[in-house]
Amino acid sequence: MKSIQFIVNGKECTVLCPPAKTLLDVLREDLGLTASKECCGKGECGSCSVLIDNEVVCSCLVLAGQAENQVITTCEGVGLSPNLDVIQESFIAEGATQCGYCTPGIIVSAKAFLDGIDHVPSVGEIKTALGGNLCRCTGYTKIIKAVQTAASQKISEPETIR
Amino acid sequence: MLVSEIDMITPSSLSECLMQLSKEGRIHRLIAGGTDAAVRMKEGKWRPEIWINIKNLNELRYIQESEDCIYIGPLTTHKDIIYSPLLQRKADVLVDAAREVGATQMQNMGTIGGNIGTASPAGDTLPALYVLGARLELTSLSTKRIIPIEEFILGPGRTVLKENEMITKILIKSQKPNEIGIFQKLGPRKAQSISIVNVAISLTLDQDLKCREGKIAFGSVAPTIIRARKCESMLSLGTINDELIRNIAKIAWKEVMPISDGRATATYRRDMASALLERGLYRLIRRWDNQ
Ligand SMILES: Cc1cc2nc3c(=O)[nH]c(=O)nc-3n(C[C@H](O)[C@H](O)[C@H](O)COP(=O)(O)OP(=O)(O)OC[C@H]3O[C@@H](n4cnc5c(N)ncnc54)[C@H](O)[C@@H]3O)c2cc1C
Ligand code: FES
Ligand code: FES
Repeated sequence: MKSIQFIVNGKECTVLCPPAKTLLDVLREDLGLTASKECCGKGECGSCSVLIDNEVVCSCLVLAGQAENQVITTCEGVGLSPNLDVIQESFIAEGATQCGYCTPGIIVSAKAFLDGIDHVPSVGEIKTALGGNLCRCTGYTKIIKAVQTAASQKISEPETIR
Repeated sequence: MLVSEIDMITPSSLSECLMQLSKEGRIHRLIAGGTDAAVRMKEGKWRPEIWINIKNLNELRYIQESEDCIYIGPLTTHKDIIYSPLLQRKADVLVDAAREVGATQMQNMGTIGGNIGTASPAGDTLPALYVLGARLELTSLSTKRIIPIEEFILGPGRTVLKENEMITKILIKSQKPNEIGIFQKLGPRKAQSISIVNVAISLTLDQDLKCREGKIAFGSVAPTIIRARKCESMLSLGTINDELIRNIAKIAWKEVMPISDGRATATYRRDMASALLERGLYRLIRRWDNQ
C-alpha cells in the first residue's frame, strides 16, 4: 500500500492503494468517479479514457503509482449537469449516445481533440482522433456529427470555455 | 505474485534509475508508457516484484540533431515523433510508422523505448529503425555500449539487454535531401491493430528515379524484423519503373519467411508482404514526384 496524490478534476486527492492498481480502478473504487468505464481492460476500446495533463490516455493501462502528482481529468471534470460542456450538450442534442457505456470516454477524447484545434474538423480527422474509442451501439454517424456541432459552437462562442 | 503485491519505484534521475537497475536479489522491470507492460501484468505474464517507473523521466525524452545524426530519447512518445518537424523532414519513415501505432491514446502513452524493449516482431517503429540504420545506446551503472538494432533484437520478446541495463538513446542517420522513405502496414482494421505484415522502405534516388541504394525491412514475417536483401539488391540496379516494382514484389514473396498464427496464414502474409511492398514503392515514387 502506498499513499498516492493526484489532482483529479481540479481537486487534490490522496488515496491509499497498491501502486500497481490501475488508475481506472482508483478513480472508480477509491474516488467514486464512475463515469470512466472498464470494458476491454487492455487499451483497445477507449471506454476508460481520461486526460492526464490534457492528453487522452487509457486509464485501464495507467498504474496508480505512475499517475502520482499528475493532473487528471475525467468525464465528470469535463462537465456535470447542469454545467455541461458544449461537447456534452452536442451529444445530447444529436442523440449521439445509446447505452452510454462508451460515451464518457468519447467525450473525454473529443475534449482533448477539440481543445487542440481551432477549426471544424472533417469526418476523416474525427475518425483518426477517435480511432481508439469503440461504440457498439450508435454506428458513429451521430457521434461524428456531435463532435462537429460542438466544434462549430466552440468557434462561434469561444467564451463558453469554463 | 498478485498485482496488489507489486511495488513501484519512481527514480527522479537517470543515475538513480541505473542504480535501482543494478540492485540484485529482486525481480524488477522498467515500465515506461505501460501499454505493453500493464497489459502483460494483467495477463499474468509480467509480474515483477518492483516496477521501476520511468514514465516521467524527462531527461530521456528528447529529439536532437547533431551533424548527420539524430538522437532520440527512449521516453519519446509516438505522439512526440509524429509532431516533430525535424523527424518529419529527416526521418519520414519513422514518423509514418509512429502514426500507425495504435490510436491516439496509445500514441500519447507509448514510447519508442518501450516499442523496442518489447521486441515484438510486429512492432511498428522497428522496421523504420532498421532502414534508418538505428543504433542503441545501452547503459548500466558502470558500462555503456552502442550496438546496431539488428544485434539488439534476438527473437520475439528477446533482446541482448542485461538485467542492469537500459536503452538510454536511439541514434539514427538523418536522411539527406535525396533520401525518401515510407512505412506501410496491414492490420485487421485502421486503428489500434497489431500488424499482420508491415514494411519500411528507404530509397536514395538520383535524377530520373535512378535508385542508388534501397533499404527494405519487413515486420511480422519472421521471428524478428528482416531486411529483404535480395529485393534491396534489385533496387540498386536501376531506374524504378513498373517492371522493376513488379519484379521486386515477386522476389519479396519468396524472400519473407512468415508463419501461420491466429492473425493470418503464412501464404496470406507472403501475398500481403508482396502487395505492401509494391504499393509502398508506388506511393513512394508519387511522394517523390510531389516534393
Ligand atoms: C491497444 C493497443 C494497441 C497497440 N497497437 C500497437 C501498434 O499498432 N503498433 C505497435 O508497434 N505497438 C502497438 N502496441 C504496443 C505498445 O503500445 C507499443 O509497443 C509501445 O511503444 C510500448 O511503449 P511503452 O512505453 O508503453 O512500453 P512499456 O509497456 O512501458 O514497456 C515495454 C517493455 O519495454 C521495456 N522498456 C521500456 N523502456 C525501456 C528502456 N528505456 N530501456 C529498456 N527497456 C525498456 C519495459 O521494461 C517493457 O519490457 C499496442 C498496445 C495496445 C495496448
Ligand atoms: S477499458 Fe481501457 S481501453 Fe478498454
Ligand atoms: S452508446 Fe453503447 S457503446 Fe456506444
